[in-house]
Amino acid sequence: MNNIWTLLPILFVLTGSVLVLLLEVFLRREKKEYLGFISIIFLLLSGISCVLFWNKGLSFFNGRLFLDKLALLLSLLFIIGAALIILISMKYLSLQDTNHGEYYSLLLFALIGILIMVSSTDLIIIFLGLEVLSISSYALAGLKRSDEKSGEAALKYFLLGSFASAFLVYGIALLYGASRSTDIFSIINYFQSDSTQSILVISGLGMLIIGFGFKIAMVPFHMWTPDVYEGSPTPVTAFFSVSPKAAGFAVLIRLFGPYFRQITDTKNIFTVLWILSVLTMVAGNLLALRQKNIKRILAYSSIAHAGYIMIALCAQSYYSLVFYLTVYFFMNIGAFSAVIALSKKNKEYLELDDYAGIGFRYPWLGATLSVFLLSLAGFPPTGGFLAKFYVFSEAVHKGLTPLVIIGVLASLISVFYYLRIIVYMYMREPSYTFKIYENNPALFLALFICLYGVIQLGLFPGNVLLFIKQAVASLPF
Amino acid sequence: MNIPILSIITFLPAAGALLFIFINRKQDNLIRYTALFISIINFILSLFLYFNFNGQTAEPQFVEKADWIGYGINYHIGIDGISLFLVLLTTFLMPIVILSSWNSIQEKVKEYHIFMLLLGTGIIGVFVSLNLFLFYVFWEAMLIPMYFLIGIWGGKRKIYATLKFVIFTMFGSLLMLVAIFTLYSIFYKTAGTYSLNIFDFYQLVLNPNIQTWLFLAFGLAFAIKVPMFPFHTWLPDAHVEAPTAGSVILAGVLLKMGTYGFLRFALPLFPDAAKKFIPYLAVLSLIGIIYGALMALIQKDVKSLVAYSSVSHMGLIMLAVFALNLESLEGAVYQMINHGLSTGALFLCVGILYERAHTRLIKDYGGVSRQMPVFAAFFLICMLSSVGLPGLNGFVGEILCLFGIFQSSKLLAILGVSTIILAAAYLLWMYQRVMQGPLENKKILHFKDLSLREIGFLVPIILLMFFMGIFPKPFLRKMDASIEHLLNQVHRAETYVVDKKADRKPSLDISEIDMNHNTKENITETEENE
Repeated sequence: MNNIWTLLPILFVLTGSVLVLLLEVFLRREKKEYLGFISIIFLLLSGISCVLFWNKGLSFFNGRLFLDKLALLLSLLFIIGAALIILISMKYLSLQDTNHGEYYSLLLFALIGILIMVSSTDLIIIFLGLEVLSISSYALAGLKRSDEKSGEAALKYFLLGSFASAFLVYGIALLYGASRSTDIFSIINYFQSDSTQSILVISGLGMLIIGFGFKIAMVPFHMWTPDVYEGSPTPVTAFFSVSPKAAGFAVLIRLFGPYFRQITDTKNIFTVLWILSVLTMVAGNLLALRQKNIKRILAYSSIAHAGYIMIALCAQSYYSLVFYLTVYFFMNIGAFSAVIALSKKNKEYLELDDYAGIGFRYPWLGATLSVFLLSLAGFPPTGGFLAKFYVFSEAVHKGLTPLVIIGVLASLISVFYYLRIIVYMYMREPSYTFKIYENNPALFLALFICLYGVIQLGLFPGNVLLFIKQAVASLPF
Repeated sequence: MNIPILSIITFLPAAGALLFIFINRKQDNLIRYTALFISIINFILSLFLYFNFNGQTAEPQFVEKADWIGYGINYHIGIDGISLFLVLLTTFLMPIVILSSWNSIQEKVKEYHIFMLLLGTGIIGVFVSLNLFLFYVFWEAMLIPMYFLIGIWGGKRKIYATLKFVIFTMFGSLLMLVAIFTLYSIFYKTAGTYSLNIFDFYQLVLNPNIQTWLFLAFGLAFAIKVPMFPFHTWLPDAHVEAPTAGSVILAGVLLKMGTYGFLRFALPLFPDAAKKFIPYLAVLSLIGIIYGALMALIQKDVKSLVAYSSVSHMGLIMLAVFALNLESLEGAVYQMINHGLSTGALFLCVGILYERAHTRLIKDYGGVSRQMPVFAAFFLICMLSSVGLPGLNGFVGEILCLFGIFQSSKLLAILGVSTIILAAAYLLWMYQRVMQGPLENKKILHFKDLSLREIGFLVPIILLMFFMGIFPKPFLRKMDASIEHLLNQVHRAETYVVDKKADRKPSLDISEIDMNHNTKENITETEENE
């Protein structure tokens, strides 16, 4: 039962992270990029170990930490995501004068937190993972030390984040108080046998929803998102917009999977999720309409996407949820990569006006960003369409047609602001021109991988979908 | 025959567009010639479809099937007598529009042709898809190149026009997507397997309540595309702002996707609901006919005049579709091709004028025929084709449509005839003001008559107009079987519902069930009973 190899993926990342911290001291400011390569090597090792453990079902700490198929699949996704983030940050850090070695180390620590979160069903362990992730995130947000906005982002994230953590702990405590266990399965089993305490379980679950809702930027717990996304260094924003969100959803799958399966009367929680999903989609998309800053647009768009993913949660269709997350990783990191590409020494171009005419001055960049935006908007034949297709079709199949109608109308709103960026890129004459820093092979590699991912998942998702279905089918609920 | 000819026709333009990525953007002429070459090859290939198409059967032909994503999402294409002509129309118009934009598109030539060819693939894909997923993918994907074509090469209000076009279309199609999901789910619940195959859905028996909602969702998407009154407001904007080639494709084939959608999906899939809504839809079509024509009469801009004439003409086609008999449906399909040719040609003519004068206002012209006699002749023929002069294609289509409509409702036919009268009024008046009369604008004195290239792309259209006007048979006979089959599908469901009633109430007199049924339906009814 207890197999120490279970720790291997996490240990690789941890070793990489510590090694980066040690070497950091000996490297001159300009040479810090090497740390990025070291991180990527360890991420690769960790990823390979995830692949090798597929079908093994390892576990450790008396089953507190385990590597089932879902954990492995998501871990792999997070590792690929982190590697992409490192690829897009390497030049960015030196260009934007944030070339601190700790960056890579913090990013890897955040990843460790996420890996812990997705490989456990014990709420305390999950909370530990969440805190590792959160504390690294607060530091990452404030990494641009000379920039006031970055400091504001860090402080805001920290204050609201600790507030959310408090909710989470309170929720865990309530659940423990009722069921004397912190393991999700025991809790659910307890409430299945004893329904008189339903007030405790409802309020406890409600607190958990608030706690994780903060991480996945669910309305009305999204207030921090635009400011933090705008202020943080752009690669960090890219990281925030995908990884913590996906980790939050992974935990929600593990929580609500057995809950919806075993508890007979789930109407209250279901209604709450239904309403939150509608709020998240509608508010996220409507607020994005007025934004002028591309990072803020993408921030609100990431809120809206959380809403679509919640439809899958309501429909209890976990394979479509995981597939959506997979596609979302590639398209959102891709979009942020393109935003990062549009920068030069000590200057980032983030306002919509900066994008005027980009499509013709930098045709490749423009075309790539357009593909990502069209994918986010859900146009075929990109991955974004197929992801929405699965989520919506599963929801209709489960009889959630009204929710889906709201969902498609919300995504109609989103078409407007995604296309507005394309309007600027292709249909407006620029009033000023600038030259971007182009010697950035790592970034282009990341862009290419994301582009490939979006198109491959849109046209031939075959094997990926197969693995996802396997992973979801192997879950105990 | 193992060559996947239909796939080649569908994807050849897109392959060409990919090829352009490797061509240097400075070599404008190379790009133009390559695009023209590809589109001509595609047209020749599609002629092969025509000559090998068997008009005796309603079965889809040139069918290709391949596994794709699974769970009902398969690659499944094929054509029948209705889609054959729409594919042909598309491939026929593609080289013409590429030729027409030879001089008018001077900037960003490479991107222009990439989007144009991608658009070709998208449109052909819509017409050949037999799997609803595939259909939806093409239906939505085709928006993207059109969005860029209007948005980059359009007129002054291009951004407004292109966003309006996309948002309007997507509003309808997203609701249609929800309806597709519902069908997908219902099929799984009844049959136990996943399918998105259109023929599987034809077999589904849906209860009338669900049919109503699904029909509304599908119908809305198609009605916006056609566009039917009151969803037409995107059309004049898009037409006026689009570059000439964009307008031609828009009027020529994009609008047909709406009527095609009704014929292929909305009517045969949900026949009971369709029957229920047809009176209202027919009234809307009629309003469209008259409203479009009246709006065309008061336009100051030549291009928006032609755009509103489109609304009016499409109204007649829709009215014919809803009449649901053999003549009216054949007339509708025939008129779809005619409208593609004649309105496309009118847009080309307006484009030719615009290239010379850079204005589209009617009052800036006058007496142009004196400077451009050859053009005047061409323009006149195109206009008369649109009006429906006997001997030209428009006449055959309109007369068939009206015969059919008359069979189902005399009042609608009487009112529907106004389309011809009004079309004559606004088009002839426009022609008179633009081409004849005193030559007041000095700029017109510098107009050159048609160049060889311009004659080159107008002549094929004109020839086809005459041919279709004099020999409609080669076209009509190819579509007979398909249209009869479609009618059977629409009417069969009605018999089914009646049967149901009979089952529930055995006391019902059999003569009540049999009222109003012609022989064809009786045959299907007996088949059902067996």
